[in-house]
Amino acid sequence: MSNDMQNDPLNRLKNVAAPDARSEAKQRAVSAGMAAFEAANTKSATAPKGSSWGRRLTSIITSWKRKTIMDMRLPIGTAAIALLVLPLGYQLYTTTSMTGLPEASTRAVAPVAEPAPVDEALSPPPPAKVAQERAAPAPVAPAPAEMEMSAGDRVMMETMPEPLAAQNSMLTRAPAAGFATPMGEAMPMQAQPSGDEFISFDEQRLKVVAEQPVSTFSIDVDTASYSYVRRMLEDGFVPEPDAVRIEELVNYFPYDYPAAPSAEVPFQPTLAVFPTPWNPKTQLLQIGIKGYVPPAGQDKPANLVFLIDTSGSMDEPDKLPLLKRAFALLVEQLSGNDTVSIVAYAGSAGVVLEPTIATNKTAILGALDNLWAGGSTAGAEGIELAYRLAEEARVDGTNRVILATDGDFNVGIDDPEKLEGFIKAKRDGGVTLSVLGFGRGNLDDATMQALAQNGNGNASYISSFREAQKVLVEEVGGTLEVIAKDVKIQVEFNPAAVSEYRLIGYETRALNREDFNNDAVDAGDIGAGHTVTALYEITPVGSGGELVDPLRYGAEAARAGSEEIAFLRMRYKLPDSDVSQLIEQPVTPEVVYADIGQASDDARFAAAVAAFGQKLRGSDYGAGMSWDAIAELARSGRGADESGYRSEFVQLVKAAAGLK
Amino acid sequence: MHLPVMGPTAAEELGHTQAMTQALVVRARNGDAQAFGELLEDHFELIFRTAWKWCGNRHDAEDIAQEVCVKLGQAIGGFDGRSAFSSWIYRITLNAVRDWQRAGRRRGRHADRYAEIAPDEHPADQEDAATSGQLWAAVRRLPEKQRDAVLLVYAEELSHAAAADIMGIKEATVSFHVHEARKTLRGLL
Repeated sequence: MSNDMQNDPLNRLKNVAAPDARSEAKQRAVSAGMAAFEAANTKSATAPKGSSWGRRLTSIITSWKRKTIMDMRLPIGTAAIALLVLPLGYQLYTTTSMTGLPEASTRAVAPVAEPAPVDEALSPPPPAKVAQERAAPAPVAPAPAEMEMSAGDRVMMETMPEPLAAQNSMLTRAPAAGFATPMGEAMPMQAQPSGDEFISFDEQRLKVVAEQPVSTFSIDVDTASYSYVRRMLEDGFVPEPDAVRIEELVNYFPYDYPAAPSAEVPFQPTLAVFPTPWNPKTQLLQIGIKGYVPPAGQDKPANLVFLIDTSGSMDEPDKLPLLKRAFALLVEQLSGNDTVSIVAYAGSAGVVLEPTIATNKTAILGALDNLWAGGSTAGAEGIELAYRLAEEARVDGTNRVILATDGDFNVGIDDPEKLEGFIKAKRDGGVTLSVLGFGRGNLDDATMQALAQNGNGNASYISSFREAQKVLVEEVGGTLEVIAKDVKIQVEFNPAAVSEYRLIGYETRALNREDFNNDAVDAGDIGAGHTVTALYEITPVGSGGELVDPLRYGAEAARAGSEEIAFLRMRYKLPDSDVSQLIEQPVTPEVVYADIGQASDDARFAAAVAAFGQKLRGSDYGAGMSWDAIAELARSGRGADESGYRSEFVQLVKAAAGLK
Repeated sequence: MHLPVMGPTAAEELGHTQAMTQALVVRARNGDAQAFGELLEDHFELIFRTAWKWCGNRHDAEDIAQEVCVKLGQAIGGFDGRSAFSSWIYRITLNAVRDWQRAGRRRGRHADRYAEIAPDEHPADQEDAATSGQLWAAVRRLPEKQRDAVLLVYAEELSHAAAADIMGIKEATVSFHVHEARKTLRGLL
C-alpha cells in the first residue's frame, strides 16, 4: 500500500459521477422542504419574539450568547438526558418490532444496482449472494412444526430480541429441518420487509370422517390478504406464510353464483364436487354463496364516520393521498340519505367534519383535502369521538365507523383487549366498524382483522387506486349494507362416502361444533352481493387416497344406504334479528363432476386460487402442482372476467413462479 | 486511468456561489420562503449526490434528499452561521444517511431484489472501473466514522479541517479515522 498521492487508491474515489437526481424527485423534495419551512415559520411567527433568529431568548446579553455559562444549560441538560436515554432507547429499539434482523442493515451498505443509469465505476460486485440468501429461504418447505404455534399467537419473530427469535425459529423448525439447517433457511422471514404483523395460524389439518364427521366455521368476506399478497409479489417479495389466508384469496374474486330471491332468505348455496387438480385421488367440494342484492330503489340510509390516521407515517403517496382519493370515490357513491363525518387521530386530531349530508360533496371533499399527515401526537379518544359522532347521527340503516390506517392503532384506547371490548359493545349498540389498511412496513394485520371481526365489518387492504375502486365502488353494497350476520357453515360428511376431509383456508375462522347452534357466538357477516366460497378437499371412500390408515378395531362405516356425500347446514341472522335461521341442503351425487373440465369456470378458478395459496404458503398439501399448471387452470376458469381481476391473477401466478 | 469527472465537484461548485448563498441564508433565516426555495434549488444536487455517494442507490438517495430538505426547512431558522452553510448541509445529509440506514432495518428492501434483475446498463468494460466499484463497495461498508471521513476527504475532496467541521470532531481525529479506514481496506488497496 502506498500513501503516495499519485498512486493512492483512495484518490480514485473522487472520480465518480453521481447520477443526476430525477427532476420529479427534486420537485418533491423541494416542495416538502418548503412546506416544512413554512410550517416552522408559522410556528416561530407566533412564538414570542426576542431574537431575530427565532430562537428563544436565553440570555439578556444577546451578543454574548453562546459564550455565557447560562447558555450551557441546554447542552448540559441534553447531554445528561442523552446519556440516560440513549442506552435505554437503544435497548428498547433493539427489542421491539422496529428492529429487523441484523442482515437488514446490509441493505443500506450492500451495493445495489438500480434500474437508473449508474456509472459503470460503481456497478456493484454481483449481488448474487445477497439475492440467493433472500430468494432461497422462503420456498423452503416449511416444517409442519412451524405451524404448530397456537393460533392467535402473534408472529413473535420480529418482536423478540434477535437471538431469541433465531433460537425460536430453530426450535420450532427443528423436528423437520434438523438442527443442521443453515441459518439462512431457518429464517425465511427475511424474505420480506419486516414491520407488518400477522396472526400466525395452523394450517387446517386433515380430519378423519369416522372421528370428526362435522366441520364448522364462520364465513369470511375479507379480502385484505389477497391485496397484500399481490402487492408483495408485484414488488418482488415472497409474502410470509401467515400473510397468506387462502379463503381471503379465494373470496377476493367475484363469482357468478345464483343470487338469492329475497331478503328473507338472503343467500342460497351453490354446490359442486369435482376432481382435485393437485391430487388425482381426491375431490374438491365447493360451497358457494352469494348475498342477496337489494333492488336499486331500496336505498337504506347510511351514516358513515371516517376515522383517519394522520400520523407521520401516513405521509406517503400510497397512504394518506391514496386514502383521500379512495374516500372521494366512496363519497361519490352516497346519496342524500347518507351522512358523512370525519375524525382524524394523531397529527391533526379531532373532528374534521361534523356529520354532513353526503350530497354536500364540496364540504366533504374539502375537509378530506385539508387532512395532512405529520406528528405522532396521540389522538386521545379518537375512536370514542368517532363512535360518538356515529351515535349522534344515527340512522335507521347502516351506522358504521370506517377506520383508515397504516397500522398505527393509537386511537386513544391502548389496551387491545379493551379496544376490542369497546368495539364489541358498540357493535351490539348498532354501530359497526370496518378497517381499511394502507401502505406497507407498518401494517398490523392482526389487529386490523381483530377489530373488523369484533366490529362486524370488513378488513380490506387498499394497495392501489384500483383496489380502492374495487372495495369502495364495485363492492360498496357489500361493504356498507349487511344482509345477513353471524353466518356459520357446518358440513357433516357421510362416512359411507367420504373417508377424510380437509377445509382449505378459514383457519382463523374455525368454530367449535357446538358453536353452530349457539346464537351468542359471533361469526362473519355478509354484505349485499358478496360472494363467499369454501373448498373442502375430500377423499372418497375406497379411492386409495387416504392418508390415515383405517382403525383396526374401528366400527364399520355406518349408514351405507345413503348416497349423500355430505350435508350442509348454514345459520345466519337477518340484520335486525337476534335469532338465527337455518338453511339445509344435502350434497348429492348430482353435483359431482367426473372431470374438472366439466365443472364451472368459477369452480376451476377457485381451485386454482386455492392451489396458489397453498403453494405460496408452502403448505403440506398441493405443493406438487406446478406454477404453470396453476396458471393454466386459472386461465381455463377465467370466464368473461369483465373486471380483469382473474387475468391479473394469472399474471400474479407467473410472478410468484419467478420468485419462489 | 481515471474515469471522466462529470461536472465540477460539489466543493468547487460551492465556492463560486458562496457569497450568493450567504445572502440567501440570511434572508431564509428571516423567514423569506423564496430565498429558502432558491437555497434548496441550489443545493439539491449537492445533497442528492452526497446521499447517492454514501449509499450508492438512487432510490434511497432521493428519499434521503427529501428528508434533508424537510430538515433544512425545519432547522434553517436555527442555523447560526458558525460553520459554512455547505458544511451544515453535509452534516445534516450525513445524519440523514445514518438515520436512514439504521431505519432501513424496518423498511422494505426492494432494492436487493431489483439489484438482481436490473439490466446492467453500463457494463464494466474497464478493469479500472471494476476495481473502483469494489473500492466503493468496501468504503460504504466501513464503520460510519471511517466511511464519512474517507468519503469527505477523498470523494468530496475536502480538507481534513473541513471534514472535521462537518463531522463535529477534531482534525486529528479525521486523520485517525482515515488511517483506520486504510487499515481496514488494506486488502483492497
